[in-house]
Amino acid sequence: MMEKLLNTLKIDALVVGGGIAGMQSALDLADQGYQVAMVEKEASIGGKMIALSKVFPTLDCCSCITTPKMSAVAHHENIHLFTYCEVQSVEENTNGFKTTVLQKPRYLDADACTGCRMCEYVCPIDLRNPFDLNMGATRAVRVPFSTAVPQIAVLDMENCILCGKCEKACPVGCIDFSQQPKLFTLQTDTIILATGFETTKRDAKKEYGAGELHNVIDGLMMERLLAPTGPYGRIIRPGDGKEPDSIAYVQCAGSRDKTLGVEYCSRVCCMYAIKQAMLISGSLPLADITIYYMDIRAFGKGYEQFFQNARAMGVEFVRGKVAKITQDDHQNPVVRFESTDNGSKVSERTHDLVVLSTGMLPSYDTKPVYRIPAGDDGFVYVPEPNSAPCVTDREGIFVTGAAAGPMDIVDSIVMAGAAAMESAAYMSEKQDQAEIHEQAEESEMEVAHV
Amino acid sequence: MATRVDPTLLKEMKKYGAVGVEKCFNCGNCTAICPLTSDEYAFPRNMIRMVQIGNTEKLTQSLDPWLCYYCGDCSATCPKGAEPGETMMAARRWLTAKYDISGHGARLYTSSKATWKAIVGYALIPLILLVIFHVSRTLGLHNYGDIVTDRVDINAFAPTMWVWAIVLIDFTLLGGRLLRNVINMFQLTMGTKSGKETIPLSVYIAELKTLLTHAFTQKRWLDCGEDRSRWIKHLFLVTGYGTMLVLIVGLLWWFQTDEIYPIYHPQRWLGYYAAIVLLYTSGEALIGRIQKKGEALKFSHHSDWLFPAFLFVGTLTGILLHAFRYAGWAWPTYIIYTIHAMILIAMLDTEVGIGKWTHMLYRPLAVYFQAVKVRAEEYNKKTAAALAAAN
Repeated sequence: MMEKLLNTLKIDALVVGGGIAGMQSALDLADQGYQVAMVEKEASIGGKMIALSKVFPTLDCCSCITTPKMSAVAHHENIHLFTYCEVQSVEENTNGFKTTVLQKPRYLDADACTGCRMCEYVCPIDLRNPFDLNMGATRAVRVPFSTAVPQIAVLDMENCILCGKCEKACPVGCIDFSQQPKLFTLQTDTIILATGFETTKRDAKKEYGAGELHNVIDGLMMERLLAPTGPYGRIIRPGDGKEPDSIAYVQCAGSRDKTLGVEYCSRVCCMYAIKQAMLISGSLPLADITIYYMDIRAFGKGYEQFFQNARAMGVEFVRGKVAKITQDDHQNPVVRFESTDNGSKVSERTHDLVVLSTGMLPSYDTKPVYRIPAGDDGFVYVPEPNSAPCVTDREGIFVTGAAAGPMDIVDSIVMAGAAAMESAAYMSEKQDQAEIHEQAEESEMEVAHV
Repeated sequence: MATRVDPTLLKEMKKYGAVGVEKCFNCGNCTAICPLTSDEYAFPRNMIRMVQIGNTEKLTQSLDPWLCYYCGDCSATCPKGAEPGETMMAARRWLTAKYDISGHGARLYTSSKATWKAIVGYALIPLILLVIFHVSRTLGLHNYGDIVTDRVDINAFAPTMWVWAIVLIDFTLLGGRLLRNVINMFQLTMGTKSGKETIPLSVYIAELKTLLTHAFTQKRWLDCGEDRSRWIKHLFLVTGYGTMLVLIVGLLWWFQTDEIYPIYHPQRWLGYYAAIVLLYTSGEALIGRIQKKGEALKFSHHSDWLFPAFLFVGTLTGILLHAFRYAGWAWPTYIIYTIHAMILIAMLDTEVGIGKWTHMLYRPLAVYFQAVKVRAEEYNKKTAAALAAAN
């Protein structure tokens, strides 16, 4: 099917990355009639956003925003989705960009798979679920998560023991253990990079236990605990399954910290911590929630009010950076901080669960493949961030979302639209020039005839 | 209570070696990571804050800088790289200068040129004295001493009792300055100048134990950071330095002899012990500063080089003096003796009372004063409670 498609269709734009920014860019271009190819390295699109619980400051359900967009991308007649693929190289030619893409093997026939999950049910290998940040369990062959798009299983060959149970169970017989990676090429006029971000690793800071404290989790793990599709369906601490009565947020646990080499503000952590605090207040009404912060950055529309609401709801805000986290004999995390609100007092407080408000880090180096350098912060370099935030220093390649720098969902969507607009403008200009060139050639020929 | 803001304080502190103070946004990480911070005394953020807002008065009254031993955890973990540890170090330099009423200390701390001038000036004193001594002898003005060249006769070149007399005079002058500065420190930090409620003498007496313990052991340092080797090395340095001080200031008539004692004689092995310890510790400190090793040695203000450099060169010339004397080389011995004397006088005159040397007194005194303050507060509470009960 793929070969047929590639041979018959002219594709205008390539969107690299199927997170919220990439999906929005692809939809905005496709709605204008452009043919869009989307390449996503994971087995499902949706990016980081599909794993989140609710969005700030409206507390809307994250899935309810993301899933329709994922479906729209999958079903849009102008969008051609390539999941579980990675871009290998990009060549510039007279027609634009020739991109070589690697299709990683799913070890099953993706066209035949119906997503019935029979293989997953019979697989004897239990694994930690990466989608739940290793908190829940999954199988070696699986549909990545319940709302994955496309609903196609993927087999984790590293953990598979080749027992063959899935092969027998599959009603359409699509399991293929001998599948090989495949290369294919895409010819496009323009490329939009929406390669997203990573979050600070939980073990990045030795003062915060270097990831070895059982009841110190990060912001994304709390998102999964809070999500309706989460691993436990309720908030319990992963160390011993106890329901926490006292939860602390440690802000700037990965941003604005020179010792981690991250001096910028990640822009989302204040807000997601406040949002999570509100959601916890809902699911554990008796729990005490404390947020340790350096300063609260509630800069967006409705954000400051959101912060004030949290305060009014009884979330405790303590000004002071947590210097150290240890744990007591019952694996309760103990935070040490100086309360700088009122004079100067160093205290140690024990909580049941500590959430590190981990920041946003660059996840993908565009230099080797796209020859686009990274800025000082490690995110994709943008020469004119104020006047042309989506334009990279390579003509025809645009950037959007958190690939360009830390930003929240609202900003990502806005920027995705801008990137779509920039690339559309670029394509139409290119077409105009081609037409002018053609006309000139024709008139030259006419002159020659005369 | 009104606070007088001094906008020049930050600029001034920079001359004393403070770096990165402006970067601090007072998150409190440094105070919380500090292993020595306590409920009564939470530093170093408060010090940085005082420098930022220009609270000269409070900074002058503060004991906190002396309670920090610069493990460097604060600087290593500071999210902004604001170097709180170095601010504490700068505050110690600044306070040392503040305690010195003459202003001489402040000049040396804020200008490396003035420091060089002072070093050369003081170093010339023993040279000039020796020249005058020998020139006047050849002119026939007196008949003390001689320059014996066929063997080494130090006590003819520089008669012990004369040298000792000069050392004692210098030490009396320096001691007087030191005492004045200590009294000034007491008045500034214990609030006796501002006429607040006075602390009864009994509290001071009750805490004398703390003063002695800390003066001899620097015990508090043991809780500072994970590296305890700094404390042990420093303790050795103190014993070596103390030995040399006693030998030169107290027992020069016994120490500077032309008689060669057997190796087991205390005059020899005490000297050897002190020389080895001083050479090793000062050499290590200098190398550490050159290599910018660790947080505490990352920055070096010009005043930081003086004490270890003086100790190192002073010890080295002392060892050479000893070697030349044993070798029986007369002129080299006399020359190196003169250089040795020049270095030691320059060291004492630029350090005692106004330089880094003074931390020997200021540190234990600060721990003592802090303990007195804490005890006085308890005492006041108790008497207030007793009064309330009586009423």
